[in-house]
Amino acid sequence: MTLPAMAASIVTPGGARPLLALNGLTKRYGGLIAVNNVTMSVADGEVRAVIGPNGAGKTTLFHTITGVVKPTSGTVHFDGESITGLPAHTICQKGLSRTFQITSLFPQMSSRENIMLAAQARNPSRWLPWGGTGVFSRAREDADAVLEQLGLAPVAERPAGLLSHGDQRLLEVAMAMAQSPKVLLLDEPTQGLSVEETGQAVETLARFLAASRVTVLLVEHDMEVVFRLADKITVLHRGAVIADGTPDAVKANPSVQEAYLGGME
Amino acid sequence: MRPATVLGVLAIAALLVAPLVLPVFAMTLLTELVILGLFAMSLDLMVGYTRLISFGHVAAYGLGAYASGFFLLNTEMPLIVAVLAAAAMTGVLAIGIGWICTLATGVSFSMLTLAFAQLLYAIAFKWTSVTGGSDGLAGIPRRPGPFGFDLFSSKTGFYFLALGCLLGSYLLCRALVNSPFGAVLRGIRENEAKTLSLGYNTRLYKIAVVAVAYAFGALAGALYSPFAGFANTELLFWLLSGQVLIMVIVGGSGTLIGPILGAAFFMLLEHQLSSYTEAWALFFGLVFIAFVLFAPEGIWGLARSWFGRSQPAETKATGNPS
Repeated sequence: MTLPAMAASIVTPGGARPLLALNGLTKRYGGLIAVNNVTMSVADGEVRAVIGPNGAGKTTLFHTITGVVKPTSGTVHFDGESITGLPAHTICQKGLSRTFQITSLFPQMSSRENIMLAAQARNPSRWLPWGGTGVFSRAREDADAVLEQLGLAPVAERPAGLLSHGDQRLLEVAMAMAQSPKVLLLDEPTQGLSVEETGQAVETLARFLAASRVTVLLVEHDMEVVFRLADKITVLHRGAVIADGTPDAVKANPSVQEAYLGGME
Repeated sequence: MRPATVLGVLAIAALLVAPLVLPVFAMTLLTELVILGLFAMSLDLMVGYTRLISFGHVAAYGLGAYASGFFLLNTEMPLIVAVLAAAAMTGVLAIGIGWICTLATGVSFSMLTLAFAQLLYAIAFKWTSVTGGSDGLAGIPRRPGPFGFDLFSSKTGFYFLALGCLLGSYLLCRALVNSPFGAVLRGIRENEAKTLSLGYNTRLYKIAVVAVAYAFGALAGALYSPFAGFANTELLFWLLSGQVLIMVIVGGSGTLIGPILGAAFFMLLEHQLSSYTEAWALFFGLVFIAFVLFAPEGIWGLARSWFGRSQPAETKATGNPS
């Protein structure tokens, strides 16, 4: 066992093998500490949510894990290997696929083409400068499978920019899942949806995640979404972890109640 | 057969029999048009397919022109070898240019491409022993060979060489943009951050497309100097970078065919207008503005909607928050 893997296993004593482990992760912007010494881990197969009020540093934490921004200090280990500070595309190639808080798609391509481009990234022949019939047909199979699973098949041909907001959110999940990731990182999957849309999207997601058994790290501020989807919860407040555990334990935690209720100055 | 295929076959047939029916001056114009069409098409790989706006594509053209001129004047290379060698050499050099320019994005990228073109312009003036300085390279021969093959040395033969280069390049470019590589380019065009997060090293793709676009642009330039018999600093002047960008936009970017038509339109309009007025550029400016405002899909976009085979791109998606 490598040293980092040992360090990671200490974080979750007795639990399943941690697939993703953060150790003392910190991100400063000048005087502002957006992510403050965060140590946490995601076990293989679990759905973990990171929650916290707006401005708690959830999205910055995500960006730091996925290589969009480089951490000021601390480490990120994935499957026992350090991925700290690697470029975003390299981290994705290792098996971490993400969605964005603000919908990020290829608006003029059809839903299917969006997913095909995502699926193609896992094909060693993705560089091929001619032909590529085989690459495309494999990507198309992958895309059609995910479109079906997430109920997007009826809008497969429609340009992504013309989909409803709810479908756009699901399309982003579909793109990430078409890459068969080892860890799926969801940044506020119901961001900007109406209450009704949120309900539908969460049901679809819950069914989908249960069926796929993928490991998930989820960032969310909507509590109902979190309690419906997550096995474990980490609570972030002003960039730092203030609680960690099962949904029930976190709900009962006094400092969490303080942050969410009393903490709202 | 689809109407476009029929049209394509007819166009190629017309280009093939043109030397039999057109007078000499018209053939000269047509040869130049084929060369410029190739030049504009090469820029479309960057502008139309990757949304990398180059303000300095003349660098490719000038490098190709000077390189093939130099090879023909100073070595025993036959014409066709010199032309291909100039294109290949420029493609390799462009890896370096692309590597530096892609350190920046957006307008800064465009400015860096312009800076490289201006740098080459200055070098062409100063490096007299190679470039001939302000006189340029003159008396560039269309050397026959290899194996005594001399068809390309005549005016008509040279036209077929240029036409062959255009058609061959078109087929290669079309294969490229329809390949998995081309799909990633379109991803970069629409949303680079997302393409990166999907696991594509977007910078490498951009450097690659710059190198390919420069190689094809250089092929056009490499044909131009033996065609004209000279290479001078005008072939590296920024004005041509602007003109070729206009050809791409007026013709219809992201279509490969469009920029070729744009080049033809630009040249013929210049030819016609300049016989009436000194201020032809003013009128061309108005035409350009009209295209940008009323027909952003360009000549080829208009043609396609007339043939009723316009793509879903018509129903353009608009409301994306990103």
